[in-house]
Amino acid sequence: MFEHAEDELIERVIRQLRKPVAIDEGLDARVMREIAAAARPARQRPALVRRWPLLAAAAAVAGLVIAQPWSHGSGVRSDSYQFVLLAPQAASVALVGDFNDWDPARSPMRAAHSGLWATIVPLAPGRYHYAFLVNGVEWRRDPAAPAALDDDFGAPSSVVTVGGS
Amino acid sequence: MGIDRVEMSDAELVRRVRAGDTGAYGALVARYRDRLGRYAVHMVGDREDAEEALQDAFVRAYRSLARCDDPERFGAWLYGILVNRCRTVGARASRRRKLFVHEPESTAGGSTGADVVDRLEWDDAVNRALARLAPEHREAFLLKHVEDLEYERIAQLTGAGISALKMRVKRAREQLQRFLREAEHV
Repeated sequence: MFEHAEDELIERVIRQLRKPVAIDEGLDARVMREIAAAARPARQRPALVRRWPLLAAAAAVAGLVIAQPWSHGSGVRSDSYQFVLLAPQAASVALVGDFNDWDPARSPMRAAHSGLWATIVPLAPGRYHYAFLVNGVEWRRDPAAPAALDDDFGAPSSVVTVGGS
Repeated sequence: MGIDRVEMSDAELVRRVRAGDTGAYGALVARYRDRLGRYAVHMVGDREDAEEALQDAFVRAYRSLARCDDPERFGAWLYGILVNRCRTVGARASRRRKLFVHEPESTAGGSTGADVVDRLEWDDAVNRALARLAPEHREAFLLKHVEDLEYERIAQLTGAGISALKMRVKRAREQLQRFLREAEHV
């Protein structure tokens, strides 16, 4: 009888400890930033610092940043999405968008066959602006996705909605 | 061209990261963050320290990805790195607490008045009892009962023998019961 009560107490403890724990929303971004910083040549950093705050600020002012999947909290489901661009002449392509703070170092794309570039990112439900950065200087909209309406901020971009909302 | 939702195994994501697709690592981080985070928070106790251990584990795993022999079991391999990081961060945090603040059990343990337990939520009581366990007992209890790992796997992660692990889990159960009963009767 006594032993049974003790087991019930421990089972209650285990149930409590198995509940989800909320992790700081910025952890994903910090991990990817640290990885990117380690891989990024030092001479590129000033150019990146100049460019992405402007874009991020512009998007935020326009009210277009609805969700930030790199920084979502515990309990928000992220699925993997593959972004693909055909750019046979490109030497490098990076995916930039609301989901990675417009940082090209965080989502460099990999050249597959026939000039196809691809990368995978986790996205929580939401609506995101994004673009491709070709050869580190040329901003391209995704020809297979709707264009964003704020191209006059200085860089063409596209829109994707995840989660059907 | 465009975007496709993809169902990718750990092995496929690891293969892509190794091939230079850094972004694919974000999918692995998102996949394992919450479960590993739960272990880290319970093991280390302090949330900030736990998140430091978790972040460090993800970054170290990325840098050592070439040494992940079985990409299908990336999650298990990552667990091993996190267990070690939690030991290091937990030991440092424990030294810091001893130097600068009172141990939490001084309020939960027994002599601070009969109203203490009434003010504690169940969550707090459990966390305080857990914090009073020896680190190796806490580690074994969490891996066995909360993360639901087999003893063979825990032995691989911790380097301890199975008999020793069973004894640690048994001791942890006994002590948790005692600490929680003490709290009830304060």
